[in-house]
Order: sequence, then C-alpha cells, then structure tokens
Amino acid sequence: MSPVTAMYVAQAIHGLTYGMLLFLVASGLTLIFGMMGILNLAHASFFMLSAYFCYQVVAWTDSFWIALILAPIGTGLVGIIVERFLLRKVQKLGLGHIGDLLLTLGIALVISEAVKTIWGTESHQVLIPPSLQGLVTVAGLEYPIYRLFIIGLSLVILGALAFILFKTRLGMIIRAAVSDRDMVSALGINMPRVFMFVFGVGTLMAGVAGVAAAPMLTVFPGLADQIGLDAFVVVVVGGFGSLLGAVVVSLFLGELNSFGIQFIPRLAPVLVFLFMALVLSFKPMGFFGERDE
Amino acid sequence: MNKFVRNLIMWVVFLAVAGAAPHVLGIVKTNVLVELATFALFAVSLNLLLSFTGVLSFGHALFYGVGAYTTALLLYHVEGFPLIPALLLSGLAAGLAGLILSPLLVRVTGTAFAMLTLAFGQLMYILCLKFREVTGGEDGVAGYDIPPLNIPGVASLDMLDSTVFYYFTVVVCVIGIMIMWFFTKTPLGQVVVGIRDNSLRVDYLGYRVRHTKAIIFALSGFFAGIAGSLFALFQGVVSTDGVLHVMVSFYPIMAILIGGIGTFFGPILGSGILIVLEDMIMRYTERAELVTGLLFIIVVLYVPGGFVWLWMGLVARFKARKLRMSKEVEA
Repeated sequence: MSPVTAMYVAQAIHGLTYGMLLFLVASGLTLIFGMMGILNLAHASFFMLSAYFCYQVVAWTDSFWIALILAPIGTGLVGIIVERFLLRKVQKLGLGHIGDLLLTLGIALVISEAVKTIWGTESHQVLIPPSLQGLVTVAGLEYPIYRLFIIGLSLVILGALAFILFKTRLGMIIRAAVSDRDMVSALGINMPRVFMFVFGVGTLMAGVAGVAAAPMLTVFPGLADQIGLDAFVVVVVGGFGSLLGAVVVSLFLGELNSFGIQFIPRLAPVLVFLFMALVLSFKPMGFFGERDE
Repeated sequence: MNKFVRNLIMWVVFLAVAGAAPHVLGIVKTNVLVELATFALFAVSLNLLLSFTGVLSFGHALFYGVGAYTTALLLYHVEGFPLIPALLLSGLAAGLAGLILSPLLVRVTGTAFAMLTLAFGQLMYILCLKFREVTGGEDGVAGYDIPPLNIPGVASLDMLDSTVFYYFTVVVCVIGIMIMWFFTKTPLGQVVVGIRDNSLRVDYLGYRVRHTKAIIFALSGFFAGIAGSLFALFQGVVSTDGVLHVMVSFYPIMAILIGGIGTFFGPILGSGILIVLEDMIMRYTERAELVTGLLFIIVVLYVPGGFVWLWMGLVARFKARKLRMSKEVEA
C-alpha cells in the first residue's frame, strides 16, 4: 500500500471513530427531540458526566470494564431523574420550546460547574485497558486497537438500538410517538413513562460514548464542547427526529472533520458550521426531516 | 397627566440614583455598575429578537464580538481615533454583520433559528481564534489607548477616570435603550410584533416579513455592537473568550428569562439581578456559575416568564382582591 493511500485510509478510520462516537451522542439527542420535541442542550453534558464517572470508577476499582458498565448506567439514572423531576415540570408550564431550551441550558451549566467543583479543572487520565492497548495490523496498515474497539462497540449499540426500535413492541410505540404522540397517548399508552425510558436510554448512550472517549481524549471540563456542538449539527442537518439522518450525517461529519484537519487544519472546525449553515439555508428541516418544530 | 408625572418622578429618581452612585459606592462598585449598564444594553438588544420578534438567538455574542473587535482594532491601528466615531462604527459593523446574515436567518424560525445563530456565533469564535495575525487569537487585542471624549469648545473628558467612564457608559446605554424603546412604539415596531404573533397574516396584509426581520436583525446587532464596543473601552482588552464565547450569548438569555420575557424592561431588571448576584457570590466562591445556573433552573421552573411577571401577577391578584372586597362592601 502506498503511503498516500495509507494516509487516506488512516484518516478515514480516524473519521469513522469520531463519527461513531458522534452517532452515539446524536442518536439519543435526535430520538429525544423527535419524541418529546425537546432539544436537549444538556445532552453533551451527560457525555462529559459519564466520562467523569468512568474516571471515578476506574480510580476506585481499577477496572475499565466495570466503568464501561456502571458509568453509563449512572448517567442514564441522572438523565431519568432530570426528565422525571425537571423536564416534565417545565413542559406543563406551557412556555413552549423556549422553556425546554432554557431549562436544559441551565442543567448544562450546573453539570459543567458541578463537575469542576467536584473533580477540579485539571484533566484526568484514564488508561486504556491492557487488552486494548497497542496496534493491530490490518491489510498492511497499523492501527490502534482501541479505536477499532470504539467502532465495534458503537456498531453493537447501533444494532441493539435498531433491534429495539424496529423489532419490538416498545420500539413500535416509540416510532409511532415520533410521528404523532397525541394519537399514541390517546390509544392508552402511558406516554410519560415512554418519555422517561427514551430520555434514560438517550443519556445512557451518550454515557457509553463518554466512557469510550475518556481514555482517548482524557477527562477535562471542556471535553463535551466539540462533540456537543457537532451533535446539534447532526440533529439539525440530519433532520429533527430522524435516526437515519443521524447515522448518515454523523459519519459524514466524522470524515469531514478528519480530512479537514488533514488538509486545511486552520479552518477544519469552521467546515462543520459552514456545512450546517449551507444545509439550513436551503433545507430548513434538514435532510431527512419531515417537520419543523 | 398622571402617567406623565409618574414617568417624570421615575426619571428624576433614576438620574439622582445613577448620578450619586459612583460617589456613594466607590470605584469597585462603580465598575460593577458599568458592567451592569453595558450588559443591560446587550440584553435589551437581544430581547428585541426574543420578545418582540419571537426568535431565540444563541449567537448574539457574534454582534457583541464584532463591535468589541472593531473598537479594539480601530484604536490599536489608527492613532488618535476619536471616541464617538469608534463607538458608532462598531455598532454599524455589527449591524452590517446582522444584515449580511439576514438572508439566511429570515428563512428559519424556532429551533432551527436557534441552531443557525449558534452555528454563526461559533463560526465567528473559531475564525477569530484561528486568524491570530488579525485578532491575536486567544490572547486577543490589548494595549490600545482609550481616547478621551472631546466636546469641542467645552471639555475633554478623560475616559480612564472610572467615574467619568461610568457616566459616559450610563448615558450611552440609556440613549440606546430609549431608542429601542421608541422603536417598539413605531409602526415598524408594531409590524415586528405582528410578525411574532402571526407572520402569515402580516404577510397577507402586504407587509414584507423578511425585509422587516432583516431590519430588526440589523438594529439588534447595532446595539449589541455598541455594547461590545463599550466592553472593549472598559476592559482595555478584547479576546475571543471574553466577547465571542458561547456563554456570552447565553448570559443575556438568562437575564431576559430572570427579568421577564415578553416585556421591554424585564431584561434590565434581570441584568441587575444577575450581575449583582454574581458580584455577591464571587466573594464567597469561585464557582459563581453553579449558583447562577441553579437560580436559572429555579426561575424557569417556579417563576416562568421572570420576576416582572411575578410582580405583575401579584399586583393583579391584589387589585382583584381589592375589587372583590369593595364589591362585598357594596353588597
């Protein structure tokens, strides 16, 4: 393999890794938006919170694998509490979208400040577990195992999500609720409970992404800044509530980011927003969106 | 007449308090007041969009930043550039930015608008961070001279004197806020409110919805730019994190919400509460944002719409009770 091709392949896999992480965060965001009409500004904060949980669990138990299970569950529980006691309340006030946006903005602020208060502002290192350290040679190209592990983990979660959504009764209810929640509610389904479940699962997935990212990016208060903004771009560009849009745009943004850094390092972060501005100017509902809320 | 007298009394009280403040409070507190006035102007300019046009902007820092950078760069590169032209040019530059973006912004509303403005705000933040030969990147622009305010034939006021600068800021902010207040009372301002309530109907009545929105973006941008310019004059340093960070966009939203959404003067009250509270909390803990964040959540949940509405609700309840009592007496 020539060095140039190798570079392209390496960058592509880099982009795929980030795209997959992005998808884990964005899919929860888009599901929550599609069902509840809430653009959860605190979503990325849950990603960061989970990375901190991971750091803490690793510090206590010395095992990344336990953290991989416990941290997302803890994050999901925090998410459920937020939904049950805060979001549900603000939805009843009838402030419309502004109310949701502002409440989740407040939650994002509190989480980011709480994290700084508890764990400090310095960055913490989470070690890659020994079994995932090192490089693997695939088709003449060396690649870090850990990044491949992230891709695999994301695929497993993507599969599980697809199974729940398209093969189970619960998934049917969720898909129905995305298209018309009042009708689903009228059919006698306990919508608040479904909301709580979806919010919990959404934050749990952000949590998995947070744990997966922790060893790669180290854990620090600004951890969620980039992925959070990118996830919003994914949801907006992919179309509010569209899971397909989330997959496609996440992967595209991952590559855009990766090759942008390779070729125009100075303007790479701008590309994402330029892309979003362009899409929104011509398709205000995004690529796969059906309605504008 | 009654209203006129009431307004007159309010103005006299305001001017007396604002005039006496620096002499009573001392330099440190005066600087807090300068911050407050600038912030209030910024919040009111954002409120033109949020309460009067009905769109939530997450990127208002863009205009603030354009204003601040314009002032800083003008004063840095042009020797002896006068004060008022710098202030006005900064406002115009920010207003122009609003006009340039408006063809895209007028097409969307709701969450898409919030996200698009967030994107433009971040775009500007990153551009200023990356083009460090112009903006100084993270370090920002610093070391420019603050010009004195020359009134030909009368006086030359030294802006480095914090009391003088305080008066200057208060005058600029009051004039700015008054202009915006009168704007909402003009026919054009009423059309804007109409667009908020029912843009389709305003369109059918023959008004140009998109043009009108473009004008309001430019106007809001202009005053945000003035606020940014004041910030640049006050701080003497303009950096990306100081004027373009996403938190700079979020803070005035919090002020509007805490003060009173849908009202003109609510944001000023909110700015006051936020700045004074922050100043008080800062004395006890470094994590002031934790407290403001919690306060913000509590306000959203328990005082929906802000304190102005809480107050008006109390007044209405009091009046209703008085009315009921007087009826009972009659009966």
